Amino acid sequence: MDFSEEIRSKAKELLESGTVDCIIGYERATDGVVARPLFVYQPSNVDRLIFDQTCAHNLTKYLLNRKDKATAIVVKPCDSRAINLLINESQIQRDKVSIIGVVCPGIVKAGLDNTSGELQDACLTCQQHTPVLYDFLVGEPASEPDVPDAYPDVSGMEDKSAGERRAFWEEQFSRCIRCYACRQVCPGCYCLECFVERLDPMWVGIRIAPGENEVWNTIRAFHLAGRCIDCNECERVCPVNIPLSLLNRKLGKEVEELFNFQAGIDAETPMPFSTFDKEEKLGISE
Amino acid sequence: MSEFISKQDLLTWLGQLMGERNLVAPTRVDDLLLFRKVDRVEDIVFDFDNTTMSPKEWFYPSSETLFYVEQKDGQTELIPAAIEKETAIFGIRPCDAQGMAMNDYPFLEEPADALYMQHRDKTALIGLACITACPECFCTSMGCGPHDPANVDILLTEVTDGYIAQVLTDKGKTLLPDNLLTTADVSSPPAPVLSEVPSDGIAEKMRQAFDEPFWDRLADRCIHCNICSYVCPTCYCFDVRDYTDKERIERVRSWESCQSPGFTRLAGGHDPRSTKGSRLRQRFSHKLLYFPRQFGALGCIGCGRCVRACPVNIDIREIIKDVQQLGVKSEA
Repeated sequence: MDFSEEIRSKAKELLESGTVDCIIGYERATDGVVARPLFVYQPSNVDRLIFDQTCAHNLTKYLLNRKDKATAIVVKPCDSRAINLLINESQIQRDKVSIIGVVCPGIVKAGLDNTSGELQDACLTCQQHTPVLYDFLVGEPASEPDVPDAYPDVSGMEDKSAGERRAFWEEQFSRCIRCYACRQVCPGCYCLECFVERLDPMWVGIRIAPGENEVWNTIRAFHLAGRCIDCNECERVCPVNIPLSLLNRKLGKEVEELFNFQAGIDAETPMPFSTFDKEEKLGISE
Repeated sequence: MSEFISKQDLLTWLGQLMGERNLVAPTRVDDLLLFRKVDRVEDIVFDFDNTTMSPKEWFYPSSETLFYVEQKDGQTELIPAAIEKETAIFGIRPCDAQGMAMNDYPFLEEPADALYMQHRDKTALIGLACITACPECFCTSMGCGPHDPANVDILLTEVTDGYIAQVLTDKGKTLLPDNLLTTADVSSPPAPVLSEVPSDGIAEKMRQAFDEPFWDRLADRCIHCNICSYVCPTCYCFDVRDYTDKERIERVRSWESCQSPGFTRLAGGHDPRSTKGSRLRQRFSHKLLYFPRQFGALGCIGCGRCVRACPVNIDIREIIKDVQQLGVKSEA
């Protein structure tokens, strides 16, 4: 699968017509194998754009740096849900963004080239092969796959005892180096001042140590409950391979079961944790 | 002729070292390779390119208590933290050993950092020469090399059935008893050939590039996490906070990074490096311009970790090449 040509010609048209000042897409990285984000401002540079199954990044986070500027962006289906999230939460304006949506058969594992075919784990349970919103679609809309169990990883964890789960996460969080790459790459993490950087009062200590790492990772996960669009970027960028998606997907599953809600499917449905319905009981006995 | 230690003798020796001091070595943790304290030789990984995290965490830990202040019977007492046990790090690569030597400049310059100095004094480095290299390695362009013995106490180079052992310092002599070494007619395998990065004259080019829009364009894709700083053997910025308890205050320092938003925010709110481009320029200027100006050596040793770990491929090798070209283009 290679959509580079289609994306180049659309990018050229959008820049030349003055519809946008910038295209956010992908180019080949310095290793010659994987992809990296690319910002194109000049029509003469559109030939650097590529799109194939190495294009792992969710680029929508970059829209937050260009809120008032007309921008075109290349999105995969999972990434497109982040745009709905950001519109729903009043972070970006729909009319400033030209969305080049790409029909996606899945992204290959890190470091593999376009032809290898071995998909990332997150892509194996993906139910969205066509973007949920776009202005221009690249590729033929596919019928959505029937995934009988969207959360096999979460069920696997749920089957473990509380003690086993605690031991597992303690071990995982002990490796955290608090680089905050998970937060920096996440389209749902856009607080101007993150709780972890509040100095007065200090909410979480600066120690890079198990207890504080656990507070950091669990609070971040809770802040994303019902908001995570399951792009797996946090897990992809983590330099010490903490399975962060597992936490986010557990909370996503809970929200789906309780509220019949998945973040970013549209931009209008009220977000479960941004609304309050006094009739809500959530199964808690009175 | 070279001094030689057999693989079996090496294992025996490493086992002995564990009894008398901390032995830190590359180990598998999940699918990462990390320098960890080992209690069994079976946990040591011998066949590797380089570790995920640099060994700097054994000299300058990610978090460390500097001192305690305690109140007892109306008296206030300051209790500095101290390093008790000797440590040997096995398997450090020549590039990383040079990185530790680079850190000596800022940490041991007067007034020296007492805790860092203790870590350095009490730690011996048993280096492993590189037989292979990562695709991202470029130490030969940064004043180092895959077989460079300059900054370790002992350098081992793998050959058939064992290692050529170069005992280079007094610390090394105390560590490795003569009776474990034999003389053998073996020669060192060739060093891996690494791609060249044009580092000659980069400091001056970086100075000229200070106001270039290049940095803002590069910052477009930088996500401003701290990965590069934390995997880097020579990044040494930290933050300090006091943890207060009823009768005790603990002063802790933890890694910090010039890439963090707010890293240079001052009391009153002004931030001299408020833009993403200025923060990114700072990191590369520190390595390639300010550090060389202040200490006379490049502040990057070419281990390639930042290149491997960066989620958006901010590649220092490419940046050096691009900055070298910036002036050329504008002159043309």
